[in-house]
Amino acid sequence: MVMFLMVLCMSVFGLAICGLAFGAATRGLPTGEEAPSTAAVDERLAAVPERFFVRDAAPQPAPAARLIPKVPIEVFLAQIERHIRLEQAAAESFLSAPSLESLHGRTVSPLVH
Amino acid sequence: MSIDQADMLQGVSAADAARLTALGSRAHIPSGAPLFELGAEARDVYLIERGRISLTLPMRIGARQEDVMVEERTAGQTVGWSGLIPPHRFTLKASAQLDTDVIVLPRAPLLEFFEANPAIGYVVTRNLASIVGQRLQVFQAMWLREMQRFVETRSS
Repeated sequence: MVMFLMVLCMSVFGLAICGLAFGAATRGLPTGEEAPSTAAVDERLAAVPERFFVRDAAPQPAPAARLIPKVPIEVFLAQIERHIRLEQAAAESFLSAPSLESLHGRTVSPLVH
Repeated sequence: MSIDQADMLQGVSAADAARLTALGSRAHIPSGAPLFELGAEARDVYLIERGRISLTLPMRIGARQEDVMVEERTAGQTVGWSGLIPPHRFTLKASAQLDTDVIVLPRAPLLEFFEANPAIGYVVTRNLASIVGQRLQVFQAMWLREMQRFVETRSS
């Protein structure tokens, strides 16, 4: 009888320990009844960006690279002026003898290559 | 160069050219000094007697704005024909590349002279049309060359 009571107590104690362990393991998981519907989500929370450590704004495409001269500005200006002179000469050549070839003839300007 | 050989006075007799230029005054533009500014009211036409005038347009290069030369005019050539053509606003900036002497011809007495001497007015106006037309044609061809390059770049 004593042994039976001892086994019974240990079984009840073991069952209690298992119950506690199971409860601790499953705490915080939503049940089917508790799961909030999508419509019930707070709008303020919805507005918070998902990516916490990055800027709110979506990444923008890199702006088109500006034509920034890699040479001193005076040199670049001289190149532009030379280009304009060559283009004017080509245009005047076209006007003196109009043809498709003379209109689109190449010059030695480095700005068009 | 005698003044009747100026592009605006081609076909005008030396005597008539002298009468016409007597309407104006001579001005000296030191090297680097502006003759007129882009957008300014154009009241005068200029005949270059000596030196060189560069016509420039502003261009943005990086963070800077620079005057880029688009044309040069030398002795015997006319600049500032916007003074005779509405809306009488300069569409370029002009400045002297060298020490330059010009004859400044004001619009009002020039137009009165043309009314009183229509034969001279006709010749001068024809010359002026030729000067304006030349620039139009040159820039038209330059623009078309640029467009052609743009098309080639886009289609390549």
